[in-house]
Amino acid sequence: MKKYVAKRVITAVFTLLVILLVLFILMQLMPGSPFNDEKLTADQKAALYAKYGLDQPVVIQFGRYVLNMLRGDFGVSYKISKNTPIAQLIAVRLPVSIAIGGYAVALGALVGLILGLIAALRRDTILDTLCTVISVIGVSVPSYVFALALSFQFGYKWHLFPMLYNTAEALNSSVLPSVSLSMFTMASIARFTRTEMLEVMGSEYMLLAESKGISGGALIFRHALRNALIPIITVLAPLIVDLMTGSLVVEKIFSIPGVGSLLVNAIQSNDYNVVISLSFIYSALYIAIMLVVDILYGIIDPRIRLAKDDA
Amino acid sequence: MFKKKKAAATPIAAVNTYVPVDTDFVLKDNVDDLEIDTNFKAQSFWKEVSYRFFRKGSAVFGMIMILLITVMAIIGPSMNNYTYSGQILAEKSLAPRVPGLENLGIFDGSEKMNTVNGVQVVNNYKDKGLDDTYYWFGSDNFGRDIWTRTWHGARVSLIIAVVAAVIDMIIGMSYGLISGYFGGKTDMVMQRILEIANSIPRLVIVTLLLLVFKPGMLTIIIALMLTEWVGMSRIARAEMLKLKEQEFVLASRTLGAGSFHIIFREVLPNIIGPIITQVMFSIPTAIFTEAFLSFVGLGIPVPQCSLGSLISDGFNSFTTHPYQIVAPILVMAFLMLSFNLVADGLREALDPKMKGM
Repeated sequence: MKKYVAKRVITAVFTLLVILLVLFILMQLMPGSPFNDEKLTADQKAALYAKYGLDQPVVIQFGRYVLNMLRGDFGVSYKISKNTPIAQLIAVRLPVSIAIGGYAVALGALVGLILGLIAALRRDTILDTLCTVISVIGVSVPSYVFALALSFQFGYKWHLFPMLYNTAEALNSSVLPSVSLSMFTMASIARFTRTEMLEVMGSEYMLLAESKGISGGALIFRHALRNALIPIITVLAPLIVDLMTGSLVVEKIFSIPGVGSLLVNAIQSNDYNVVISLSFIYSALYIAIMLVVDILYGIIDPRIRLAKDDA
Repeated sequence: MFKKKKAAATPIAAVNTYVPVDTDFVLKDNVDDLEIDTNFKAQSFWKEVSYRFFRKGSAVFGMIMILLITVMAIIGPSMNNYTYSGQILAEKSLAPRVPGLENLGIFDGSEKMNTVNGVQVVNNYKDKGLDDTYYWFGSDNFGRDIWTRTWHGARVSLIIAVVAAVIDMIIGMSYGLISGYFGGKTDMVMQRILEIANSIPRLVIVTLLLLVFKPGMLTIIIALMLTEWVGMSRIARAEMLKLKEQEFVLASRTLGAGSFHIIFREVLPNIIGPIITQVMFSIPTAIFTEAFLSFVGLGIPVPQCSLGSLISDGFNSFTTHPYQIVAPILVMAFLMLSFNLVADGLREALDPKMKGM
């Protein structure tokens, strides 16, 4: 187990370094230097370069860059909000995005599980077909189509929820974005739960449990669902990543002041510094989530960590 | 596995000096003795697959929808006299109006407008005196025909998706096959590279790529290429690991086939099923990614359009003129749904043991 965890952690750290290297190279490739002023003499420029460490070898510059990024010192924004530290911009927006993403994952996982369970338990009935149809639509139709439809129907026509995000009533305005983001998660989990449940229920230990006289809820929840849940955890990680992508558009539609809309703004206004910092944040989050899921999976299912140790 | 072959090669060549002649081998004339089951005739693999595929209603529905949308993407833009970029500013934001149907009270060019006096039904065609003008899906804010633009956009989206999926297939498949076939150190190194590539979020790759290149069809295809090959290579590798221990590979190797021949001529035709399924699954992803990029303003530059950019345009006025967004959204949703349905059907048809959802 220790070896397995160590391996995952090393891979994660290495990946983060690769990403930082790519970002660093990109920054070097960007045209222009911060000291483009023609009035500066060569001496003054040299002094400025020395002050900011730009006269150092590239390796040392990279080391410094890594340290700065890890400490959360991302530099300042050039265009979106001039000379504001990016860390400050992100600190305000990240919690909003995480909250909505969290609601979406929770909602999607819960509803998806219920749908998948119903479909598996009532196999080949009208309920099963209905759940299949819902999940196929949920997987196929992009989240922003749901977002637009929900915002039109519930926001514009019926005035049930605000069409645009309002910080004063954060919870109420999170409903529509969370629901539209959760559709994909819900559909995927429902499909997966159904397949896993069917597999588990056909297994021999379920027959044993049944023949021991266990029935009803205990049989389904304690014996079947617990085993079916294991693989479901693995699909959650990629789903969370899809949420990140989806959130960009959904945040734009509902004009949510989150990191997604910040990234869109930054790309559109060529604010490289912000784009690169956000890329780093997204990557770090993603890698962290993958790491946690991998380790969790190793803890839950000994077969995985043993198989992977061999490889 | 390969070392053994090399070591054994020299002594055999030295001892074996006998040159075979034609009469060494005679066909055993046993056609009459063989018992061939005539009740259940042997079916070719693909015949069975297509039988199972066409038995599934949803897969057939998806197939028909894809064909329909593809045909419309080809002929749709030339079905009326408008062009996808031609603007008639006097005829902007007109609601859908279709000849024939307008007499039934639908698609007659009227739309509900929220004004200070409450909801009013307005018919801009009548108000502007455009009695002989028909915009089947309506016109947009610049007076462009949405019918033409929708099908033109569908064409662009389909081209991007299919090209990206095919390139992904070639790259991912080769990577996975090579990694799986050689195994050992090669596999280890290639899988570590893949793991790192897979740990960089797709969003970040796409964003960074767009910082470097100008938005456009090629950039989107490159972005899709860089992000989608991982899934494909996983499948190819898994299939290769399953097949490479089988007898036909051994037979081929015994006959002196090289690695390249075994990988692409012997194993590849046997795993083409799962690969095609994966391509079908990656097309909707590509369509979605393209639409998403267009929506955040990084897609196809104007006056070109794709489904994503149309949705993005329509979004700006979707509360006042909802019809502007309905057509592209429906086409895109149906396209993605159909590809998913076909992919699902194909997966089940190829592997009847696996009954997914």
